[in-house]
Amino acid sequence: MGDLLSGSQADPSCRENLAKVTGASVYTFDIELPRMLHGKLLRSPLPHAVIRRIDATAALAMPGVVCIVTGEDARGLRDPFYGVGLRDQPVIALDRARYVGDVVAGVVAIDEATAFRAAQAIVVDYEPLQPLMTIDEALAPDAPALFDGKTPGIPIPVGAGCSSVADPANNVLYEFNFGYGDAAACLDASDQIFTDTFEVSRINHFHLEPHVNVAHWVGGRLEMWSCNQDPFLIRADIARIFGIPLHGVRIHTPLIGGGFGGKSYCKMEPLVALMARKAGAPVRLALSMDESLLTLVKHPGRLTLTTGVDREGRLTARRADILLDGGAYSDASALVAVKTAFRIGGGYRWQAIASHARVVRTTTVPSGSFRGFGGTQAAFAGERQIDMIARRLGEDPLDFRNRNMLDVGEPFAPGDRGMDSDLHAGLQDIADRIGHGAQKPGHGIGFAVGVKDAGGTGNHAQALVRVTQDGEVMVSAAVVDVGQSAASALCRIAVEALGLPLSSASYAPIDTDHSPPDNGTHVSCGTLVTGRAIEQAAMEARAQIETFAAERLGCDRSEIVLDGWTVRHNNVTHPLAPMVRAYYGGVGWEFIGRGSFKEPYDPTAPMGARNISWMPCWSAAEVSVDEDTGRIALHKLVVGADPGRALDADVCRGQIEGAAIQALGQALFEELRYQGSDPENASPLTYRVPRAGDLPQVFESFVAEHRLGIGPGGLKGIGEAGMLGIAAAIANAVEAATGASLTALPFTPERVLAALDARPERIQSRTD
Amino acid sequence: MRTVPLEMTVNGVSRQCDIEPNVVLADVLRDGFGLRGCKVACDQAVCGACTVLIDGRPVAACSTFAFATRGRSVETIEGLASDHVLHAVQTSFLENYGFQCGFCTSGMILSIVALLRTHSTPDETLIRDWLGGNICRCTGYAQIVEAVQLAAATMRGHP
Repeated sequence: MGDLLSGSQADPSCRENLAKVTGASVYTFDIELPRMLHGKLLRSPLPHAVIRRIDATAALAMPGVVCIVTGEDARGLRDPFYGVGLRDQPVIALDRARYVGDVVAGVVAIDEATAFRAAQAIVVDYEPLQPLMTIDEALAPDAPALFDGKTPGIPIPVGAGCSSVADPANNVLYEFNFGYGDAAACLDASDQIFTDTFEVSRINHFHLEPHVNVAHWVGGRLEMWSCNQDPFLIRADIARIFGIPLHGVRIHTPLIGGGFGGKSYCKMEPLVALMARKAGAPVRLALSMDESLLTLVKHPGRLTLTTGVDREGRLTARRADILLDGGAYSDASALVAVKTAFRIGGGYRWQAIASHARVVRTTTVPSGSFRGFGGTQAAFAGERQIDMIARRLGEDPLDFRNRNMLDVGEPFAPGDRGMDSDLHAGLQDIADRIGHGAQKPGHGIGFAVGVKDAGGTGNHAQALVRVTQDGEVMVSAAVVDVGQSAASALCRIAVEALGLPLSSASYAPIDTDHSPPDNGTHVSCGTLVTGRAIEQAAMEARAQIETFAAERLGCDRSEIVLDGWTVRHNNVTHPLAPMVRAYYGGVGWEFIGRGSFKEPYDPTAPMGARNISWMPCWSAAEVSVDEDTGRIALHKLVVGADPGRALDADVCRGQIEGAAIQALGQALFEELRYQGSDPENASPLTYRVPRAGDLPQVFESFVAEHRLGIGPGGLKGIGEAGMLGIAAAIANAVEAATGASLTALPFTPERVLAALDARPERIQSRTD
Repeated sequence: MRTVPLEMTVNGVSRQCDIEPNVVLADVLRDGFGLRGCKVACDQAVCGACTVLIDGRPVAACSTFAFATRGRSVETIEGLASDHVLHAVQTSFLENYGFQCGFCTSGMILSIVALLRTHSTPDETLIRDWLGGNICRCTGYAQIVEAVQLAAATMRGHP
């Protein structure tokens, strides 16, 4: 294993992993082109302002400065706006800045330092406008409108029982309703009804490779190296924005240094293209991490849930009122609202759901996709309330969950796919692992079962599998490697179908000129959706190989048995390599199989297509609380998830644990805060993410293979799962330990102390 | 800007170059010597991605002036394997899957090499403490901690 040249490194995961531990991996961050120039951006220091005038004279006069790009340059574009469905974000601020960090000017220069100095020399004349820093400020009756007129684009199309509306009210970007059954009647008929409100916080992805793009125009055609995880979406956005054909844009996607949703959908890619076009030379723009912190966050928000229970302790109906802070621009807000509202019922059986979500515009960092896409917000509120209800009913939280949880095959919602994990078995597993009922005095144990859909709405992917005359396999698809070992997983699916060793396979670099398209690397869909396409492509290549051999041997294809890189016919083994060479000559031939997968649209399903899989996260926490300081000690954390079938157990473990520790950060301390209208901690020095010392004293994870997914061999995605249940499990454990009810993230010592003080017995003792 | 001469040892080889006095070590390594395994992430000596070893001690190359390395020995990830044989920490990272996206990995491995050179039998508390200088946003750290334990055992077995 230690020898760099040994054969054990020959399979694709070993090749890519070897590069990572020797510093040889190439990220977009490392791309360099001849004559390449560098960009830096000037950002608004004000949360809301009219841009009266930009004076770049001094900056342009500086030696080494090539050009300055402002809203004036963007105005000439065919359509200078982007966003998911609803497109309100300009490529660069046109006449108004809407948050601290909004891009106002871009400088191109011979090096980064010169560009940085020149950006500081640009003088902007702002007319300050009233900031709207919170949902409540933006919804106030006298709040100024953050945008004039109707939002361009279309709201997300949805299916049965749903409505999707853009611009329903002043400063409300989007409204979504999802439901089935008669929630009002069910709640009226319930034995008990509980209403609770939960607050979720604003966190940043904090991927270590900053947002970085290199753009280069040749003869009116754009070539770009991008860290974006959606190469074909970027191609489409840039073609639309610049008014050029799809094939006028070529996107390369090297290895990505972490994303977690922060590098999905269009960001500054069109701006880099614009800077390169104006400069007439290749331009690299690498944001600093301070800038990435001001580029995208996870939606903060407030969720009020009203939940009914009947006399037998069965859940009846849930009504949800969800307010999400979308920040200054749309980005993927509408989609996040859809998913938050849809997922609010969690893994339980309901007679009725009435879920109502709104995205409010504020003068803060735009909110968008973040590992779980509204699933974590919904799971925190939902699983916290389930526990609170069990406690109020005097029930064991496990018994209450088990009575109400969906069984295998039961649909999550009418018209949708059945549950493809055994939720009860997973719950029993975490109960055993955490030592339910045997905790130490003063310690509390809490559970949560987060559930979300995965695989996407009507997603599709295409794939190519090419097999050379020597039996080497090249797998080509558009799933981007963000650290989830996509290349290795997809190669494994192809070689299983071909019966060839994993060491024979490679994953082709992603290049929109050559790679078959997909929807983007999202929603834990890669191994399932693209995996199905690859399996089909490999089977087609296999059929071509068998047909070729049958023709050469003068027999029927059914008489041929493919065995490694030989065929057997009548118990005689024929090596394939010489057979192919004998027919096609020395250069040889490739068998090229094509595959595709498309989940069809279905108007009877709530999302407009049946969800491709379900993604549970079983979580359990054991805590104690220092009642003098409010500090939570996390003694043990258990987290498990179901990939259906694990192609690589270590990789699945890494996905589950990595997501869980991100969720731990959000639960205990991580938050991007504002002080008045200024970001308070938007720098890596002040924005705290989990470090090794923040690990729980005991941290245990498990991979549960329930083999019920519709991917090859029963597999499904797992990337987002570990994020879902952690915060609720910790809060539930705190309540079990102390009686203090935490309903807002993160659980800072101040919040814990306040919750301890708010306990009924504490209030009682103060009034006595 | 005037330049100053710089002499230092990089991965065991004596190197000379002229640098501007305000240039940081990460830029000299990446742009001057093509050692792009040194990754710059936070650029504020917070995350540890750019960690290299100077005279055996881990430092943030993004925030160290290049001139400060005059006459010193710099080790980067590219110099860790010798004669095509990986260092025990690199091997343990491969065997334990101690990385995902890999952007923190160069710095993480070099920090651990420095740890294991000074502490041959680190307990888990010391490992967690030592890794406090390196952020990994992907793994959740447990597989990295196990990789350190495995590497320590390997290095004790093969002194």
